[in-house]
Formats: sequence, structure tokens, C-alpha cells
Amino acid sequence: MTYKVSEEGNISTVFLNGEIDMDVVDKAKELIMPLIEAKKEVHINLKDVQYMDSSGISVLIESHQKALEVGTKVTLKEISKSVLKVIMMAKLEQILNLD
Amino acid sequence: MNETNKSENKISETREFIVNSASLKEVRSFSREVFEKIKIDQDLKDELVLAIAEAAQNIVKHAYKDIETSNDKMEIKISLGKNNELEIGFFDKGKPVDGAKVRHRNIDDVKPGGLGTFFIQQIMDAVVFREGEKPWINHLILTKQL
Repeated sequence: MTYKVSEEGNISTVFLNGEIDMDVVDKAKELIMPLIEAKKEVHINLKDVQYMDSSGISVLIESHQKALEVGTKVTLKEISKSVLKVIMMAKLEQILNLD
Repeated sequence: MNETNKSENKISETREFIVNSASLKEVRSFSREVFEKIKIDQDLKDELVLAIAEAAQNIVKHAYKDIETSNDKMEIKISLGKNNELEIGFFDKGKPVDGAKVRHRNIDDVKPGGLGTFFIQQIMDAVVFREGEKPWINHLILTKQL
């Protein structure tokens, strides 16, 4: 997994790239959670994520819940077809903010 | 160890992987290689790769829980019978797994974790845990009629 972060005002956009599995979730969490804790609005761009497993989905849930807790928002942007399928399999399309 | 046996099945391929999270990428690559040889649509291939990777992840996370360093290997065998039944076997030497206690979390109780087993059950027709024959401790069998 590789990533890029861009900032615009209070919005941090995290562009994730590659395959997100148990081996890289800690790296993804270390990247995303501090932004949420800093009360940034976080956009996670998933256009270039070709594969995500249950570990990756757990990071999305944890990010969403942490954002609610601190009073900000996480939005998933440009979700790739393969990731959307896993989100839907987990029945999270009504829970997470998808754009 | 890699093994290909086409005598009784249309496809039967076996590979071993070190039990750690870094192997999951190799597990997916192996699965994709095998499914390239089977005429099924890409969406189903992707689902099957996910199910296999989740089962392998469960071995790393649960059968080897609290075992920090190990050179143990797990073995994955993908077979497609002449009746088009896909069988995927997982063999490991971790802690014995009681299949009756393996459950996914309530899917409506949204929280991180507990989704891997749910995905496997969604994708596959059957999930069976057996005691492994020596040298294995656990033998998990996933099946799906293609």
C-alpha cells in the first residue's frame, strides 16, 4: 500500500493505493486516525485500491466511529468497484459515508 | 512446496506459506494464478480470492494468536472436481480450533473486527473444520459448487 495526503482548509484527503490487508492496516490507521483526532474532516479516496479485506473494512469502521466521537466526518471518495463490493457484502453502505 | 495433480480433479494445486501477515499477498497471488485456469467470471474469482485470504488471515490471527515468531507453514490446497465442485483446504499447526465456536459477529452490531468469517460464509457454500491429520493440527475445508 502506498498513500498520499493532501490538505485543503480543514479537509484532509488521504489517497490510498494498492491492496489493503492485515499486513498494512496498522500503517493505514497510523495515517488516518491522527487526522481524525485533530478534528479534520477526512476524505479517504479509494479509487486506486484494488483489494480490501475485512481488516481494511475494520479501519473504515473505526475511522467512521472515531470521527463521530470527536465530532467530525470521514467520507469515502471514488470507491473502486472491488472495494464497494466488499463494503456492500459487509452491509455498510448505509452506515459509512460514501460519495 | 508446490504441487500440481490433475489426475483425479480438473485442477488440484497445493502451496505452503509461512504463517504471517506478510504471506497473505502471496496467498492471494497463488489463488489468482489457480483461478486463471478456471472459466468463471472475474467477480466470482475476486470473491473466492477474498474467502481464501480471509481464511488464511484467520490462521495467522487466531490459530497463531500470541505466537510471536514462528517458522511454521500453512498449506492451502485448491481443487476443482470433475463435478465442478471447488474445494479449498487449509492445513495449519497452530492451536486447535473448535469449529463450533467459530462464529462471525452480529452483522448489525457495527464495530471493527469479526467480518472475515462472515465474508467466508457469504461466499462459500460450506465451511467445515476437521482435526488435521499429522503433522497438521487444523484442517479447514471450504467448498462451493461452481
